[in-house]
Amino acid sequence: MTDEAVMTTDAAAPSPFTMVAGDPAAMVCEGDVCYVPEAPAE
Amino acid sequence: MSHSGAGIGGQQHPFAYIVSEPIKIDIWSDIACPWCYIGKRHLESGIAALGADAPEVEIEYHSFELAPDTPVDFHGSEVDFLAKHKGLPAAQVHQMLERVTGVAAAAGLDYDFDALQHTKTLKAHELLHFAKEQGQQLELTERLMRAYFTEGRHVGRIDDLVELAAEVGLDADAARAALESGRFAADVQADIAQAGAYGINGVPFFVFEGKYGVSGAQPAEVFAQVLTQVAGERDEAAA
Repeated sequence: MTDEAVMTTDAAAPSPFTMVAGDPAAMVCEGDVCYVPEAPAE
Repeated sequence: MSHSGAGIGGQQHPFAYIVSEPIKIDIWSDIACPWCYIGKRHLESGIAALGADAPEVEIEYHSFELAPDTPVDFHGSEVDFLAKHKGLPAAQVHQMLERVTGVAAAAGLDYDFDALQHTKTLKAHELLHFAKEQGQQLELTERLMRAYFTEGRHVGRIDDLVELAAEVGLDADAARAALESGRFAADVQADIAQAGAYGINGVPFFVFEGKYGVSGAQPAEVFAQVLTQVAGERDEAAA
């Protein structure tokens, strides 16, 4: 496949994987922080 | 993708079988992670969207305990918990939960944060390893996430976990023995350590064929595209 969905990122994380860029707004949970919206409330 | 042995013209040829392994998908997640359940649905939708072209997949869940300091029994609402841990105003937490609930609804999940019972998920992870040993990890993963996010069930206490295990057909006595003995505690920690070694800081985190990493509750299309890519690479390698 040649589309952008699988283009890799240049993240410096020590990941052994080819990271798929995908949607940068896709949410993850880190510690208790799971609910942070894309645009944090003022 | 598995291929049958049907030959040209529908005739079976004894040497026409092309047996390929399913595409392996390793997923690090936590039961108490709302984006993990949403990501699970998105992955399933991505596979379904490929229809007849969908490759066969083998999914294995790995433990990731997001908040090890969470008490098994927390007396208060989810809003209380998040406001206390994050120091955010309750109104802002409400807003955040509403957004998550909306995204979940779009994925076909009916999250109920008013009913949710916040808890430590360590024992749930041990149970998932027990279920993996029994060949029912996927069923239990779905059952635990549904219990936690949509039914307000407690997923931190052994008695509750044994009930949920039995609901997916696991042997209740064996499940209880596994949890009480801590037989799978080391497996849980091994998963967590592996995540650390891989640089995985957040979940859900998906690994396709041990090669492609996908972080977060990505849209279904992304999962479909990655699967198509992996399947295509396999076909090229086999050509």
